Amino acid sequence: MTESLRRHAPLLLSLAAGTALWEIAGRRASAAFLVPLSETLVRLWEIAASGQLWEQFVSSAALFLTGFALALAIGMPLGMLLARMRVLRVALEPYIMILYATPMVALIPFILSLMGFGFAPKALVVFLFAVFPVLYNTIEGARSIKPELIEVARSFRSSEWKLWCDVMVPYTLPFAMTGVRQAIGRGLVGMVAAEFFLSATGLGQLIMTAGQNFDTGGVFAAILVIGLIGVGLMRVGLMLEQRFARWRD
Amino acid sequence: MDAIASPSVPDVKGASGAGVRIRVRGLAKRYGALEVFRSIDLDVGDCEILSIVGPSGCGKTTLLRCIDGLIPVDEGEIWVNGTRVTQPIAGMAMVFQHFGLFPWKTVYGNVAYGLKMAGASKAEIAERVPHFIAMVGLKGFENAYPYQISGGMQQRCGLARALAVEPSVLLMDEPFAAVDAQTREILQFELLRIWEQRPTTMLFVTHSIEEAVLMGDRVIVLKGRPSSIAETIVVDLPRPRTRETLREPRFAALREHVWSTLLSEARRAEFEVGGGL
Ligand SMILES: Nc1ncnc2c1ncn2[C@@H]1O[C@H](COP(=O)(O)OP(=O)(O)O)[C@@H](O)[C@H]1O
Ligand SMILES: [Mg+2]
Repeated sequence: MTESLRRHAPLLLSLAAGTALWEIAGRRASAAFLVPLSETLVRLWEIAASGQLWEQFVSSAALFLTGFALALAIGMPLGMLLARMRVLRVALEPYIMILYATPMVALIPFILSLMGFGFAPKALVVFLFAVFPVLYNTIEGARSIKPELIEVARSFRSSEWKLWCDVMVPYTLPFAMTGVRQAIGRGLVGMVAAEFFLSATGLGQLIMTAGQNFDTGGVFAAILVIGLIGVGLMRVGLMLEQRFARWRD
Repeated sequence: MDAIASPSVPDVKGASGAGVRIRVRGLAKRYGALEVFRSIDLDVGDCEILSIVGPSGCGKTTLLRCIDGLIPVDEGEIWVNGTRVTQPIAGMAMVFQHFGLFPWKTVYGNVAYGLKMAGASKAEIAERVPHFIAMVGLKGFENAYPYQISGGMQQRCGLARALAVEPSVLLMDEPFAAVDAQTREILQFELLRIWEQRPTTMLFVTHSIEEAVLMGDRVIVLKGRPSSIAETIVVDLPRPRTRETLREPRFAALREHVWSTLLSEARRAEFEVGGGL
């Protein structure tokens, strides 16, 4: 008990200090820029009680999960395929590098003019934000597999399918998970950007309407929710990464 | 040294072809401009252990990879159990120099791997894996990951994985080169004990002369650049071979013989390099 208290003391102190700072700064600053934490929490409670928070959360979650799931479903298999097929990799790698380095926000106007304001273009934005870290880390991971292990599989007459199940996937997963964790953060940025710039829905809309109504407490309440979701997802990602990397010393 | 026969043509049990497990004719392999070996002829009889000894880099691993069907050859033919080898075939298993264990699989998972690839049923795997784990002395370590066990134990696991598919031909690529000297000696005698229980045809590659003589019915010396078979030495030591074998004068004589063959080669290579400078 005291041991765990001592271990967590710095964290607790830091959180207490941050909370206090927000509270004090919020009380001193103009309400147009910043409101204290207490007021933010009150607003959060109000929005939640009105049912609005839940509604917008569900809308955002659907958007995020669709784009993110697509990013995983395409990024990981494609990454392993590219690692396994040199020709394909050499052909596609420059495009992947360029797109990985491009700030995806720049593509939003293009997607807007191409696909309009619906759900699909927004999911595409989340997908584009999230897919490249997954793809990149999967390729790098899958390429680092020792050729000797592929040879062991061939020596035991593994089929290509079994080679994927027994060698490629289990070896690559921990590397891919590193990309998945990065993709969570980027995917959330993509989600809010899509909600801002395409059609206003979800938590992004909550921020926008609150902003337009000079409801600073509402803005911070929504930001707080998005931040907490991000932290939660990161933790899940880290747990999965450790789960798949148990075999690494 | 006259007492030691060194026929230049591989002498085989059942040279007629009956009982020949591995037959290699006129094998040559190149990596681009590098010619690794040429005109390799081999016949390995049923349940014979053929040691292949040669300096590091002379192409021992390459030869085994060719015989296992992992890489294409440039010239010549390989036949195993009457089948022309162009890709890995059933009935043959390899033990790798650096163990080749899958780090994400436990000892159990690694030993089960070959059986799984061979399409064994769950029941069959559950029955055979513990048997082979016990055979190599890894009982109690079924759930350990490779990084949690010593090098010697890792190679025991690699051996069990190969044995579990009950191959008629075992290819051993310097299996004990990556473990410490003491463990190496223990593993050598354990392998001999396992072989006595269940003899198989074995190609045993090593760069240790002592090990080559201890294990083999014959020892083949690879030499030259590109390498070819310099000499085939028949090891007429009785089996079962035990620690006693190491003390026999005959063992010492054979070891000296192989050593002098390799040394003359090493000397010449040195001079060749020197002359080239
Ligand atoms: N995949 C490869 N590509 C090019 N050269 C290789 C390859 N594998 C081995 N070699 C070369 O072939 C020679 C024989 O290697 P190897 O068969 O590993 O020797 P050994 O097992 O006797 O130590 C070495 O000179 C090595 O550098
Ligand atoms: Mg080698």
